[in-house]
Amino acid sequence: MTEILKVEGLSAGYGPLRVLHDLDLVINAGERVGIVGLNGHGKTTLFYAIAGLTGWQRGSILLAGNQIGRTRSQGAGRYTHQIVRQGLAIMPQGDEIFNGLTVEEHLDSGAFTPEAWRTRKARKERVLDVFEPLRKLMKTPVGRLSGGERRMVSIGRGLMTDARLYLADEPSLGLAPKIGRAVMEALLKIDLQGSAMFIAEQNVALLEGRVDRVIGMHAGKLKGEASSASRLIGGH
Amino acid sequence: MDVFFVLTNAITVACIYGLIAIAVSITWSSLGLINLAYGFVFTFAGYGAWLFAEHISEMPVLLAGAGIAMGALAGIIVCLVVFIPLHDKPNFTTRGMIATLAISLIGSQSFLMFFGPRPKSLPDLFGFWTVDMFGVTLTSDKIGIVLCSTLMLFVVVRWMRGSRRGLEIRAMMMNPHAASIVGIGVRSTGIYVMAVTGAMGGLASVLLSQTYYIAPFNGLTPLIKGVSIALCGGLGSVQGAVIAAILLGLVEALTNEFLGGQYVLMTQFLVIIAVLVVRPRGISGLLDKAREQ
Repeated sequence: MTEILKVEGLSAGYGPLRVLHDLDLVINAGERVGIVGLNGHGKTTLFYAIAGLTGWQRGSILLAGNQIGRTRSQGAGRYTHQIVRQGLAIMPQGDEIFNGLTVEEHLDSGAFTPEAWRTRKARKERVLDVFEPLRKLMKTPVGRLSGGERRMVSIGRGLMTDARLYLADEPSLGLAPKIGRAVMEALLKIDLQGSAMFIAEQNVALLEGRVDRVIGMHAGKLKGEASSASRLIGGH
Repeated sequence: MDVFFVLTNAITVACIYGLIAIAVSITWSSLGLINLAYGFVFTFAGYGAWLFAEHISEMPVLLAGAGIAMGALAGIIVCLVVFIPLHDKPNFTTRGMIATLAISLIGSQSFLMFFGPRPKSLPDLFGFWTVDMFGVTLTSDKIGIVLCSTLMLFVVVRWMRGSRRGLEIRAMMMNPHAASIVGIGVRSTGIYVMAVTGAMGGLASVLLSQTYYIAPFNGLTPLIKGVSIALCGGLGSVQGAVIAAILLGLVEALTNEFLGGQYVLMTQFLVIIAVLVVRPRGISGLLDKAREQ
């Protein structure tokens, strides 16, 4: 099985604050992995460290065999676009979106490789198949959408390229339970085709039994690896 | 006094300073850099066009093209010298402003050293002809200036709306953090932004040289006016800059007509202060808010 993500000895934080403590983690191709933990225990920081967005970090991060982690003490976000171009799709927490752009432009902005830009029509169609409600809203500025619709846009943007690893940071956060479930449903329906998906979530019930593994996170350390799929459904 | 004469003068002036104001505005909102190096860009493009006219060709289209290209080159130089080394260091806004101001001053002195204090003049771009419209005589350079700058603005806006790069720049204007998440490189986008805004400055330089001479310190006034129009219009808004440019162009033309040219800066800054007292975010604060809701 190919390893999409391999993290070894990763520590990261902001200024004097150390959030992650020597993490080791492997995610294989085709896997959907959930990570659960309370607020402020480092789930988002882990995602940010993978994307090179933390204040400082050290340790090895291999994305499909390429080293994307490095020891650095400053320059948050300096290499993020290069890491993203190596096949990382980030669906960030909350509304990291461009308020003035329309839904369509927003989806276009996710197609950053020349190949994805040329085929962006077909790709948008694919996203719209997943998020049907966006079809009528293509010309609406994202700033006018509801919370659930924004989340769909933000996730849809991540689906516009052929990423190796999808990072979905609390896709149900701040949404009404029904809408949160629908968004999660859509995420779980996506055909991975040799890539992998890493979902952070506080609501364990949304993930339980529907992802391949659930990892716990507590105080910047990974706790136990309950393979919920094999535990609840009996493996596959 | 002739209302139309004042009006045409106002629009001509507004076009030139508007180009620089929009350039300042775009640079600020996408890169977070208050670029005071447009003085340098301006004179660089002016001298570049002059050298081109002296040594290569005096054809108007080529000459304007040379000015635009030199402006873009100057923009890229500023980007390489200031933006790329400084953009992720602490206190970038202040440092960037000081560094770009320094470039403007160093630029002026170097031009003085290389070309001497004697002003240079560019050959006429638009020839000598006049059109009578509504009983006003429009000279060729007025029409040419308005057409050229409108065309430039149109092309830039189309490019920002239609192309992948333009989309990246607009995305970066709205949310730089999210922009890096979708794979938009700050530094490569920075070079594009500075090249395009530099090209606008270059065109403004060539157009203004139809009225004034090219001299080492001639970049300073357009810089001050461009920055203050951008502030007055609301930094980061193209519509705001256009409205402010027309407003301040009108003030300039009216002052010229009734008080005399030496009072222009005074009345302009009084108007800017009045606008900023009433609307601290500049004219387009309202437009921006309406768009977000």
